[in-house]
Amino acid sequence: MNLMANILLNVLVAFLVGSVLFGLQRKIIARIQMRPGPPIIQHLLHTLKFFIKETVIPKTAAMPFYIAITVILCSIWVAAVIVGPVSEGSLLILFAIFAIHKIVEHNAGSSSGSPYGKLSCVRAVFSAAAEVPLFAVLLIIYLQTGTMNLADIIAYQGTNGALLFSIPLAAMMFFVLILSKAYYYSPLNITMGKDLVSGFETEHFGMLRGFIMISESIAWYMLLWIFLTVFVGGLTPIGYLAGMIIITALVSLIDAVTPILNPNHSVMTQVTLAFVGIVGSVLMIFYL
Amino acid sequence: MDIQIIYLLYVLAFIIGSITGLVLSYKKYTEPFVRKNIDLAALILALIGWILTINYSLIETLIPYYATITIGIFLIAMVIGMRPGYGRFETVIGFAVAGIIWIIRTVLT
Repeated sequence: MNLMANILLNVLVAFLVGSVLFGLQRKIIARIQMRPGPPIIQHLLHTLKFFIKETVIPKTAAMPFYIAITVILCSIWVAAVIVGPVSEGSLLILFAIFAIHKIVEHNAGSSSGSPYGKLSCVRAVFSAAAEVPLFAVLLIIYLQTGTMNLADIIAYQGTNGALLFSIPLAAMMFFVLILSKAYYYSPLNITMGKDLVSGFETEHFGMLRGFIMISESIAWYMLLWIFLTVFVGGLTPIGYLAGMIIITALVSLIDAVTPILNPNHSVMTQVTLAFVGIVGSVLMIFYL
Repeated sequence: MDIQIIYLLYVLAFIIGSITGLVLSYKKYTEPFVRKNIDLAALILALIGWILTINYSLIETLIPYYATITIGIFLIAMVIGMRPGYGRFETVIGFAVAGIIWIIRTVLT
């Protein structure tokens, strides 16, 4: 297939599946809490709705950065799709994209001039400490497989079995990262805590908000895609879909039954789990 | 056809089906889900949808498998995507019947 068509196809699939998975997350949380919940496509409809709303720019916004930040957010996640499903490139680039995502969260909050956005921006800096597991996971995967290339990692798992079973603590750390990026009621997602309305995106309206939501849907799809690719191995599209539904259901269960932690507790929980994961994984690699 | 295009077809069928189901069910039902009756039309759609999706190989000689599954997913999504609360019993019955047919067709023969 033509490369451009392949990219477009994958970005479209990532956006649509990511949105439906967010809707599913909301539905499962609602059912656990004994509510009927919204339709599964609610998140997608919500995203599309913003494209027909008026785009208002607050007086306090730092222009043109306020608009540019949404473009950057969209670009990095489209880049993630190109590096991931399209070309099966290096994990290092994907993790660089996560790092940029953190900076974008920070700047989207600060550029709006809203106190909610600014508080979310401060929390984005604070929770950067919780990104430690991300880099640790990279190192552990490299120690185990000797490569950072996604295609090689898939090939390694083809001959040696899924990494989920050989380095389970690294998988656990990555799962905690996924949990911290869940959109609805995540106990660890402090930048989007309900005490901050909608966190860093509170003051982005209309089309700008629509683009932020598209990026977040792609980000969710990509997080799950990376988890499944790195820890389970190359799957068929239906296998990926099944895996994504299972992980989303698991995340929803945790989100529905746990309170949203305060920032200190959230960061300390992630750092503690990272410590256990790193020490445990290194011990497992060298002594088992 | 490329597997990824087929995958996109399924996803689009699910989304368009859900939107259609949502719009139609809001027209049909003006009150929230309280009476818990089974909707006959939704039940027929769910049955056809689930049977087509799970047992697509029954008519594989007539229609390509991806077309059968796409139609099936569209019909399933129409029922799943109904106004909150509606369509749950129909979905479960449809899945159960399609599952029983699949078991009879593959495991018991």
